[in-house]
Amino acid sequence: MWYASLQLRYGQRHGRTVPILRQHQGPLRVQKHFVQPDGSCQHIILHPPGGIAGGDVLALDIALEQDADVLITSAGAAKWYNGFGQAAQQTLTVNLARHSRLAWLPLETIVFDGAQVQSQNRFDLQPDAALLWGEVVCFGRPAGNKPFQQGYWRQRTEIWRQQQLLWCEHTRLAASDPLWQSAIGLGGHSVIATLLWTGQIPDACHQEILALPCKGEAGATQLPEVWLARFIGDSAEAAWHWLRAARELLYPHTHQRHADTPRIWRT
Amino acid sequence: MMPLNVAALQWLRLASPALPIGGYSYSQGLETALDLGWVYDAKSAEHWLSAILMGPLAHFDAALLAQACRAAAAGNQALLGHLNQRVLASRESREQRLETEQMAYSLHQLLSVLPEGAEGWPEQLQTPYSLPVVWAVAAHQFAIAGEAAVAAWLWSWLENQVMVLMKAMPMGQSAGQQLISALLPQLHEATALAWNLPEEELNNFAPRFSLAALKHETQYSRLFRS
Repeated sequence: MWYASLQLRYGQRHGRTVPILRQHQGPLRVQKHFVQPDGSCQHIILHPPGGIAGGDVLALDIALEQDADVLITSAGAAKWYNGFGQAAQQTLTVNLARHSRLAWLPLETIVFDGAQVQSQNRFDLQPDAALLWGEVVCFGRPAGNKPFQQGYWRQRTEIWRQQQLLWCEHTRLAASDPLWQSAIGLGGHSVIATLLWTGQIPDACHQEILALPCKGEAGATQLPEVWLARFIGDSAEAAWHWLRAARELLYPHTHQRHADTPRIWRT
Repeated sequence: MMPLNVAALQWLRLASPALPIGGYSYSQGLETALDLGWVYDAKSAEHWLSAILMGPLAHFDAALLAQACRAAAAGNQALLGHLNQRVLASRESREQRLETEQMAYSLHQLLSVLPEGAEGWPEQLQTPYSLPVVWAVAAHQFAIAGEAAVAAWLWSWLENQVMVLMKAMPMGQSAGQQLISALLPQLHEATALAWNLPEEELNNFAPRFSLAALKHETQYSRLFRS
């Protein structure tokens, strides 16, 4: 049982975004950052190598100063193991200053049978700040050969712009829940993914994303404050394939450039 | 048992499909569930509706409505404003967002021309309004108890969904009434659940229901607006 925290702060220096604060406690780290030719910064979070067990507490605190442009991903899946009756927690707190832009695209989260996970994500955006948020969650083993028989997954995500709640999601899924099998829930599937952008996407791009082939079921919508896409399927690989393809189509509109694939995704 | 007074009659009125707020034009994803073959007969319709009722309705929309009823009764406009934001920010699709806004607008317009609604509109509440919050204010103005207002909300939902099935599946009148009989005990249970749900237990996780809402936007043939 341990406590791990990671605090990262990014700022714009001479046209390049660089980390100006990197503080960690416990087994939660970042690799060396890359500055891309366009001046944006890519950073890779290293989750605790042994996964996360019952009683563990993780806190991530990310801040972008004005004009900072950052992509954060992770080196491997976040694995939440059987807690044997003890809950594990993660809190992600993100503050985005004016004109800053964060792409938060960690690799998949795997919630193993017996894990009791409480996850809280809060994003606070200043005017003109933007967030691209992607998430892939797998329940049980990646191959889906072991069902989720105990434990729970609870996550609340909120995106705020000043005093206005732009988007929120309240998820509580327990092992005994009828939502695993029901037609309105997972319908027997074990992988879900979400991709969200805090702004408008041109209709032509939206239509292209709707037309993406995928090994699962996917849909998307343009809400007044956010563009939202969802996936349900049976493999993390299929979810990632869909999410990355959608990201590539989005980038010219969200980032005014071609979507660079982080090196870690190619391995 | 509710005493048979004017408030009881107002309760019937609020729950009536004749209330002119346009509920009949929305299927809330059911039209897509029919199109995709997820719902195809009386039994599958009962499973679909039961799962929604005991899932995201009891644990989210009706639970936020319950909080709004308490806030309206207490005159807590700041809380009504927060709840309004949460309803709007949690809509799964553009159509669902338009649905709650349009129905809230219509109910607000209606209240503004009724003697019951002449006073007591929460002026601090910012537009766009969401339906649960305006419904809670309407119930308060009609002197309907909060828990009864939640039951009326769920009843309107159920009756409307059965109407959708009758038009789009299609399902006969008697089969529709049999479906209502089957779901009424759960509707009662869902009302109590929503009324007593602690804030931290709010839950709108229903991924294929969300997907149905998204897919409706591009469905080839549509009778309904959601």
